Amino acid sequence: MQNINQHNYQDFLLRYIDEELDLREIEALLAFVAVHPAVGEELESLQSTKLDIETIACPNKAVLYKNIFPVIVEPTTIVYPNKQNLFKKEKEKAPVILLRWWAVGAAAVFIFIVARNGMFNGEAGNGLSKNNVAKNNVVKNNSVKPVTSPVNNPINNISTPNDAIVNTGSLASTNVKENQQNITTIPLQSVGIGDLAYHTIQNASTVTASEAEHTIPSYNGSIIDVKPTVIAEITAAPITLNEAAETQEPNETIETIDTEAASSNRSVMVGAFEIDKDKFRGLFRKANALFKNKENNRNEK
Amino acid sequence: MTEKDYNESVLLYADNVYRFIVKNLRHTEDAEDIVQSAFEKLWIHKDSVETQKAKSYLFTVAYHLLIDHTRKAKRISLQESFENDTQRAYQENKALKKVLHDALATLNETQRSLVLLKDYEGYSYEEIGEITKLTTDQVRVYLHRARLKLRNYLISPQQVL
Repeated sequence: MQNINQHNYQDFLLRYIDEELDLREIEALLAFVAVHPAVGEELESLQSTKLDIETIACPNKAVLYKNIFPVIVEPTTIVYPNKQNLFKKEKEKAPVILLRWWAVGAAAVFIFIVARNGMFNGEAGNGLSKNNVAKNNVVKNNSVKPVTSPVNNPINNISTPNDAIVNTGSLASTNVKENQQNITTIPLQSVGIGDLAYHTIQNASTVTASEAEHTIPSYNGSIIDVKPTVIAEITAAPITLNEAAETQEPNETIETIDTEAASSNRSVMVGAFEIDKDKFRGLFRKANALFKNKENNRNEK
Repeated sequence: MTEKDYNESVLLYADNVYRFIVKNLRHTEDAEDIVQSAFEKLWIHKDSVETQKAKSYLFTVAYHLLIDHTRKAKRISLQESFENDTQRAYQENKALKKVLHDALATLNETQRSLVLLKDYEGYSYEEIGEITKLTTDQVRVYLHRARLKLRNYLISPQQVL
């Protein structure tokens, strides 16, 4: 840094006015001014030559701008008349219940257990043991009224539809010749699995449909959809006592049909449980229908 | 620079350039013309001018336009008539300021421009040299001479009286 002296101090003063000195030079100059008061007076006179900053606005500045045009758009109010019709309200979404595989499985197991319990209960209610059903040992029932017992008693005497059904075994035992006509199909369930459906009636008397028709209650648990069965007309000629006596043997012969093989074909062993195929199929058919209904309902929504 | 930058330069620097010119010329309408010419030149060369250098570019152009204008005015001897004609003259509010600006009028164009660029715009010697196409030393010497002349005018017996 150049030393300040009597010969060069003016240059320092002017540079100080022009703000061109660094800090060290400023300190040195102020120290020199403090020592030389005349230099201080000269500094003040030079400071008076400095112009005060003043603000002068440029007139017509707007003409200097390029490509800026004030755009005045008059607001035009156009009201759409049917605005109310345009409002929409979002439909509330139906709660979506996702079916999980375990839920489906649990439902299936639950239905199966209920159905199975119901099935056993139903069998117990009918007083039929499984073995009895399987072997189809037709036991004489007190309520069974053989056709032949009362002389001149036409088969029309079969009083109730139930009797008619249960007595089919008895009727078969009479070896009544087939008088063709309509063969009655009796629901499997109503007579037990072993009581196969076909029974022929020899010299059958007439059993009208109205008499034979009966309604068999549905099975508990709805495994098998048993509908009311109409036993068709059985037209028969009147049976005479003699004929009946001839055809009837002293000891009624009960035709035994062993359906064990047939039932074994229908059953499936699942672990310790023996499950009837038909019932099992019915169970899945029901479950399938339930899911389909649910799916349809969801699709409709 | 872009159009946006140019318009921003108008907003930021138009007043400064105008002040620089009007203080030199003491004639508002001529100052307006010079400012407009300066910005017109900036617009034409906006693609080659960097945004950061727009201000110094404007002052450079304005300074040379000022020099050209002053030389032209001298040739047709209109300088004395500026204060007397019907055109508006720049109005000074305070007496001291008026004296200072009178003193400023006694400087030549270069000295006055250097003082104005230094005091109003705060440019350094180097920057002023770039604008006025002078060396740094020339700027410093010319400026110091202008200061001393102003001071001598301010402390002259006529001004004291």
